[in-house]
Parts: sequence; C-alpha cells; structure tokens
Amino acid sequence: MTHLFGIRHHGPGCARSLIRALEDLSPDCILIEGPPEAEAVLASAIHAEIEPPVALLLYCPDDTKKASFYPFAEFSPEWQAIRFGLTRSVPVRFMDLPQAHDLALRDEPSMAVDPSDRTDQSDQAEADDISGDPLDWLGRAAGYGDGETWWNQMVEERRDADSAGLFAAIQEAMTSVRAEIPRKLPPQSQQREALREAHMRKTIRQAEKDGFQKIAVVCGAWHVPALATMPSAKADNDLLKGLPKVKVAATWAPWTYGRLAAASGYGAGVLSPGWYEFLWKNQAAEASQRSIAWISKVARLMREEDIDCSSAHVIEAARLSDALAAMRERPAAGLDEINESIRTVICMGEDAPLKLIRARLIVGEKLGRVPPDVPTVPLQQDLEKQQRSLRLKPEALAKELDLDLRNENDLSRSHLLHRLKLLGIQWGEVRGTGRSAKGTFHEVWQLQWQPEFAVAIIEACRWGHTISDAATALAIDQAQQAESLPALSALVDRVLLAHLPHAVEPVTRALENLAAIAGDASQLLEAIPPLANIFRYGNVRQTDASLVGHVLDGLVTRACISLGGACASLDDDAAAAMRKRIIATHQAIKLIGNESHLADWMPALTRLAMLGGTHGLVCGLAARLLFDEKTEDADATATRMSQALSIGNDPAPAAAWLEGFLHQSGMVLLHDDRLWQTLDAWLASLIDESFIRILPLVRRTFSLFPGTERTQLGARAKHSGAASPAVQTAVTVEWNEARAQKPLAVLEKILGLNS
Amino acid sequence: MMNTLRQHAEQLFAHELDELQKADTRQRPTNWNLSPWAVATYLLGGRLDNGFEVSAKYIGNRRVIEIAVATLVTDRALLLYGVPGTAKSWVSEHLAAAISGDSTRLVQGTAGTSEEQMRYGWNYALLLSKGPSKEALVPSPLMKAMSDGRIARVEELTRIPADVQDTLITILSEKTLPIPELSSEAQANRGFNVIATANNRDKGVNELSSALKRRFNTVVLPVPATEAEEIAIVTKRVGEMGKALELPSEPPALKEVRRIVQVFRELRDGQTADGKTKLKQPTGTMSTAEAISVLNSGIALAAHFGDGTLRAGDVAAGLVGAIIKDPVQDVVVWKEYLETVVKERDDWKDLYRACREVI
Repeated sequence: MTHLFGIRHHGPGCARSLIRALEDLSPDCILIEGPPEAEAVLASAIHAEIEPPVALLLYCPDDTKKASFYPFAEFSPEWQAIRFGLTRSVPVRFMDLPQAHDLALRDEPSMAVDPSDRTDQSDQAEADDISGDPLDWLGRAAGYGDGETWWNQMVEERRDADSAGLFAAIQEAMTSVRAEIPRKLPPQSQQREALREAHMRKTIRQAEKDGFQKIAVVCGAWHVPALATMPSAKADNDLLKGLPKVKVAATWAPWTYGRLAAASGYGAGVLSPGWYEFLWKNQAAEASQRSIAWISKVARLMREEDIDCSSAHVIEAARLSDALAAMRERPAAGLDEINESIRTVICMGEDAPLKLIRARLIVGEKLGRVPPDVPTVPLQQDLEKQQRSLRLKPEALAKELDLDLRNENDLSRSHLLHRLKLLGIQWGEVRGTGRSAKGTFHEVWQLQWQPEFAVAIIEACRWGHTISDAATALAIDQAQQAESLPALSALVDRVLLAHLPHAVEPVTRALENLAAIAGDASQLLEAIPPLANIFRYGNVRQTDASLVGHVLDGLVTRACISLGGACASLDDDAAAAMRKRIIATHQAIKLIGNESHLADWMPALTRLAMLGGTHGLVCGLAARLLFDEKTEDADATATRMSQALSIGNDPAPAAAWLEGFLHQSGMVLLHDDRLWQTLDAWLASLIDESFIRILPLVRRTFSLFPGTERTQLGARAKHSGAASPAVQTAVTVEWNEARAQKPLAVLEKILGLNS
Repeated sequence: MMNTLRQHAEQLFAHELDELQKADTRQRPTNWNLSPWAVATYLLGGRLDNGFEVSAKYIGNRRVIEIAVATLVTDRALLLYGVPGTAKSWVSEHLAAAISGDSTRLVQGTAGTSEEQMRYGWNYALLLSKGPSKEALVPSPLMKAMSDGRIARVEELTRIPADVQDTLITILSEKTLPIPELSSEAQANRGFNVIATANNRDKGVNELSSALKRRFNTVVLPVPATEAEEIAIVTKRVGEMGKALELPSEPPALKEVRRIVQVFRELRDGQTADGKTKLKQPTGTMSTAEAISVLNSGIALAAHFGDGTLRAGDVAAGLVGAIIKDPVQDVVVWKEYLETVVKERDDWKDLYRACREVI
C-alpha cells in the first residue's frame, strides 16, 4: 500500500504533520523526492556533527558548472522524513529523476533552460515545483492576496492535529488545480516535469516489487496527483528510455537561511526561514502565546540595537495584531499581522527597523555545518585542477613568485590569484616591486597557503562551482553593496585584474548608479581618468567599450554640472588637489575625444575662469586651459590676465592665479610662443607705476621656478619676441676647453670607439 | 448650502454612510456608527451586498487603512504620519466621519495652540460674575469628544509646542481630563479616541516626547505605490478641482498627466521608471498633491493665455517651481535630470526645450 504525502518544501507545518502521519503509519519504506545519487552520502544526515541548514550538492566532476543544490532546513519535511527513516532503520530512497540525466539534459538544445530564468546555480528541480502560480491560484480563490499568506495560514501556522485530513486536503486541492488550470510552462520544463514524475512512479513500482508493504511517499504537493494515478509501467519506461547521462558525484555543503529565502533568487525558497524555524520550535504553543513570544524576540533584538522597546510596546503590538487578525477574519495573527503591528506600535511607522527584523529574525543568519568527512566540494576540485594545470603548488612555506604577464601561463596564474583574492582566499599578496600604477608586465607575488583556506573554499562554494563563477558572483554582490565611488573603482580594477568579463557590466553599472547620486564632485572627477583610459586603450579585455562609454557620458555630464559648485570656497590645499583633478580630467576628456563632452566641459571651464568664483589657482588654470584649447583667443586671455593681476586684487589670490595659469612651471613659457607673446605683451603694456606694484606678484610666482628655467626665460626676454629655436641658441655657456677634453678618453673607451 | 466652498465629509458622503449603516450587520464597538469592517469599506470603496457602490476615498494600500481602523478598535490613539500631500488629513476626516458621523471635533495644531484649546477655556463674564462653575467652562473639541464618546482630531500635532502636546498624555492614558478649578474631572466615554496627523518633513519642529509617542500607534501613509495608482489619483483630483475652479480648459491629456507624474515619481524615488538610472533627489517632497497643483496651474495657463490645450510649455514653469526649492542643490539635481534623462527621451523633446527656457 502506497501512502502519498504532498508537502511544501521547507514548510514546518507540513513537517510536523508528516512526522505525526509517519508515526501513525510506521512505514517499512520511505520514498522522498530527491536525487537518487545522493543516497550514497545520506548516512551523514544523522551524523552527530551535521547541523542544518545544509544542502545536498550534486555535480558533474568533469564539468563543475553543472550542479544542483537540494537544501534542507531543520523544519524541512524531507529532512525530517530522512531522519525518521535513518534513525528507525527504515529504508530511505530518493525517487526524483537522477541528476545524471537531469544535468545531462541541460546540454540538450531542446531542453536547454533559458539562462535568464536559471536562477544562478540553484536547483531547477525545486524551482519548478509548487512555488508561484498554483499556490497563488488557490490563495486568490480563497480571497487572499497571494498564495504565500494563504498557505501559511492554512498549513504552516495551523495547530490542529488532523494530519491525515491535511494531506488528503492537499491532494484534493492540487488535483483540482492541476485539472482546472493548465499550467503555462515552456515546453522543455513541461517535458522535464513529465520525466521526473515518470521516474517517481517507476521508483514507487520498484519499491512495491521489492515487497514493501507500507510505502510512504514524500513529495512536493504539486506532484501528488501525478503519483496517485499510475499509468502503465511501459509508458513511463518508454519515456525514460535513452536519456543522456553524465557522471555525477554527491556531497553535502553548508547552507544559510539567507540562501534559503526566496529573496536571494532561489526558486523554491521560502520567504521566512527564521519564522518557520520559530514555528517549528514552538509547535505546541497557543496561537496567541506564539505571537507574544515572537514579538518578545523582536523586542529583545530592538533593545540590543538601542531602539526603545518596552513591555508595554509588546503588549500593545500583540493587541493590535489580534485586532487586525479579527478584522481580516483570520483565526490567529500571522506573520503579516505581527509585522504590521510591530511597525505601527514599536517602530513609529518606520521601515528601517523592520528591515533589521527581517534580516535578523524573519530570515535569520543561521549558517549550517557539515561533518568534516564529507567528500570535497566542486569549487575545491576546480581549484585543484587549476593548480595542477598552472603548476602552482599550495605550500605552507612563504615563497616569492615573479610573473611575466606576457607569458600566457603566467597571465592565467595572475588571474587565478586575483580571483582567489576576491573570494577572500589570500593565498598570494602582490609585492609592489616591478609594478607601477599603469601596470608593467611584471607582477611579483608572495605566496603562502594556509590550512584555513579549506574552510574559506567551502564557504565560497555558495557563490559558484568554479573559481571564476564564484569570483564573478561575489564581485557583483559586492558592487551592489558598495557605498563609495573609490571602493567601486577599486573593485572595477580588481575585476579587470582578475579577468572576470561577466562581472564588468554589473560592476560598472553599479558605478554609474553610485555616480548619479554622489554629491561630491571631486569623487566624480577622480572616477573619470581611469575609466577614460579603459575606454581609450581597451584595457578592459573583451569588454564592450560602449558600456564604459555610457558610464563616462553620465560621469562627464554630471561632473560638468557640479564643477562650479565643487570649486567654490576652496582653501589652498583643497585648491591644489582640485587643480590636479581638473588637469587629469581635462586630459581624460581630450583622450576620449568626444565632441559632446568637450561641448559640456569647455563652458564649465569658462565659468570657472570667471574671476572671483573660486580659488585663484583653479581660476588661473581654467584660463590657461581655455587658452591652450584655443577656445579663447590671445586677446581674451590677456584681458583675463590683466584683470586677475590688476592692482585692485589682493596679492595672494593674484599670485595664485598666475601660478595656476603657468601650471607652476616656466618651461611652457619657453616653448609656447603664443603664451610667451601674450604674457610679454601684457607685461610690456603696464605703465611704470603699475609695473612696480605688480612686480612682487610676478616675482613671487617666478621664484618658484628652477634657476635654469629662470635664466632661460631671462635670455629669451632679452631677445624679446624671438621664436623658440632662437631660445636654444641664446643660451650661451662659457666652455673650459681644457676641462672638457679630460673625460673624452674615458667616454671613448666606454662607447668602444677606439677598439 | 450650495455656496459652501467645501463640505464636510459626512455631508458630502451622507448617502453612502447611510447605505453602509443599513447594510452593516457586523459587530460595532460601543458608540461607533459602523463596524470596523464597514469603516474600511467606506474608505477603500467597494460594492455592498445590496448592490450599492461605495466610492473609494483613499486610493492605495488596503492594509494601511485596515491597520488604522484596527488601532482605533484597540482604543490606542492613531497618529497618521507621512510627507506632506499624502492624504493624512483626508483620511483622518473620513475616519472620523465614518466612525462618529462627525469630523468637526478638530484641534488645528499651530505654533500658537494653547492649552485652553486642548483642554477647556472659560467664559470670563460668567466666571467673574458667578465664580468657577460647570456653566462657565468652555470645553475644547477634545473634551466634547470625550463626553460624547466620539473621535476627536488633532491636525499637525508636531506644530504644537511640546508642553501643550503633553496635555494629551493624561487624556490618552488615563482617558480623563482633570478640572482642578472645580475639583472634578471629565471622564471619557467609550468610543472616544484621537486621530492625530503630523508630517515627517518637519521633524524636530516639536518632536513628540517619548511618553506621548508611546501612546500613539503610528501609521505612515506612503506615497502612491505604482505609477498607475498615482496617475489615477492625479487625474481624478485635477478633474474635480478644475470643475470647482470653473476652468474653461479641456481636461488634461492623459499623456501630459503621465509625464508629470513620471517626473515626480522619478525624482522622488531617486531613479528612473525603468530602474536603470539612479538620480539625485531634490530637497522638496515631490508629493502627489504638488503634481496636482502643477497640472492645475498648467491648465489655468493654457486656458487663460493659450488655446486651452495643455502643452509642455504650460507646465514647465510650474514644474520647475515645484522642484527647485533650494536655489543651489535643487538646481544641480534638476539640471542633471534634464540633461541625463529628459534629453534622452525622444518624445520628451518639447518638455526638454520648454524647461531649458525656464531655468
């Protein structure tokens, strides 16, 4: 006799009813919806050191990208069923379609799942189950907003003891849903579902054939109707014939409640693992006691976080949640009612504390543990494979490694080390030597393998099954959480170093988003030059240049709009820093060579060049850049100059202006004829009196120049207005012939002239 | 009667309240005109069993109203909180009208609200001639509500000076109002409760003491959740107000309403509607009420100075005025928005040009 128990994955109410039903039935065989390959490692489920949440991990050792997770929490019905069977020595079998086929089918073009709806590495088998639509239909039919609330109310939060009735009701509900509402699935998913259910039936038949009398079948509620009516064995066998196959290995991996929650994109996840665990642990309590216990938990958390929350708050919140439940005609306050009353009574209507409650209590932060003797995870295997192929041995002894990045093997080694660094596995540390900001082709690493890395790898395996996948996922996650532009640009850099092409787009997008709300224009200015380099020189390997270009467009526009505000009221130090930024940005914008950028940038500079708006240094610099770009002609510049240096101004800003205008260097004056002429003409136009007054300013600026430059400037001034070549000849030095002869012999020797 | 510029909720919707009362068979708390369920239906609209259609007074999240009504059932006071223009006073008026059939027991909070307005004053002529007596006492709307067992409303609670606010503590926790002059007190009857409103942009004006805060359940009225919802609200209100102000213009084209609502939503949320681009947020609140007034002034402009059809040029001035509240920060925000978002949208070119002209 076969008994069907339709459950919802990770439903505590289901788990409770299931245990009760199993105890009543005392089956001699338990069949569970799960991958048959995992039966080999199943014994670990009653290992003393295992601690849920954990996940069964099925993967293909030859291609670790192909993998599925089957997570379990303590309150998962399947977990309870497994333990029920193992502790009582009842045979436990898994009956889902073997992952050997399932993983292989992912490669079949007809079965390929659209990568966009493949929620990262999470298990498709679960995602397709009863989550989403069918429940929503039932919930809406019962007058609830969504299926989740309805199911919680009817199944997970209910307290009566009639477990047989519950499973009968679930079967009936699902049968009518499956009969009434054609589920709109893409054909490949439909095909897969048919295969899975065929295999489940096949397993049931096998168990019957093996002579078991009382078979308990635990599966997702959705599948119950398909298992209740058995078509002929031949039809199922035909369906399952000739499926492709890959090699599959199974192991356990630690899981977290965060990953169990649907919020992390895991298809069949539950919204509130923490709440479910609470329900599981408090299954005996009265409904009203239960909500008070939960609100007290919340109150303790609030106090830990220094948010006022007295016992009176708890009482009022409990009263309000009961009143709400009564108004909504529900037997007891559910999580929704409790949350709403907490928000209203304790949080003063604010959402922020609720987010905290959600993260810490409703979802929870629990991390599971697996016994040390379970087989290794695919990430570890991927790492070992790469270590072999790149001939990088993990050694506990610190050792130095010099990588020549022109060499392909060394480049891959560098990528691997950078990726591990991103994953928090600090195997290597870059030593600064041989590496400038622009990056030469040498990279020197200090390598040292620590035993703790093994743990870090197991932890990192939730990000992906290969080093590059995991690093990509982690980088994207970090990008979404980054809060400052420098941190993000550093991340862009790390992503580029680690060569993670898939992470580049999300990370640059995050950069763009952050830039949009950044109030600090200097941060914007600093972000432009490195991006411009990437854009111009294609530093981003295999990256869409237009992506960076788009980010740059936004950055430049924003920088131009806020430049004026950012340059107002600067002190000397800030002005010097701003000057550097403006020069770098100016060069970057010219490097990009986009007309529309220049069309924004030059007017912004013109506004800066207006006297009085900003520090003299920046103002002078702006005037100079306009002059260099020929946006303003010599006359306009001369006007600016005489305005800035006129008698009415304080000496200090005027001197700063000249300093800014000359870029703190006299060389340009020597080599730029236009500039020389303009300055010269202005100086010559001064009447004696003005000249004497202005002299200290000019002296002050020129005194900053090196002596030789001053000499050359003087020489050029003597030849008033002569062109550059004349300048060089004009430098006359007295040669001492005799002394000049002396080193010649040695020089000849060095250069090998007389041999 | 018809010349009243604005009627009270219970007058305007007397018919609906009547019908609800007839159809309402559920349990009513003492001194409530309707059951909690019927109050929620009155605010959110719906069809009664007898086929009568109740119009929606509040378009938005059903749960917010349910929590508000449930709060009043538990005899905790209700504080409606939110940015200006999110229908706090509107909801408070209609709740009072539905529960007590009277929304006029109202204390308007201002910086000059005194204790007499919260508790009671005296008829000084009577006081001088006959001495302190019950007859010489002039009860405040709050005190009247207590003796009648009805709902009292306090508008703009945070504008009231802190010491005057604290008058409420005794009333809310002991449900009584001592009258030391007469050595007596006024005790509240069942059904009495207080609905207060406060806006959270004026935080810190007269922040509630934590003792007082604790006596209120706070319900935050959110800005409209979806664009469709907001467009529905704006179109409805603009239509109603246009009629009231007798504007000769055509009702606004849905396209223009949609654009204005989108601009407001995007700036308020700090990101574009497609969620792809982040934006800086202006200092103003960008409430739905402001969007309504931008459209109204645009319609007035179009009617009196244009050809009666609402165009981008008519709303541009109002739009810029509504967004730029701070002459430095908001200008940067608005310019960035214009240059990076409005300019890029092909069918928004007219709006871009019109706005460029104004700043």
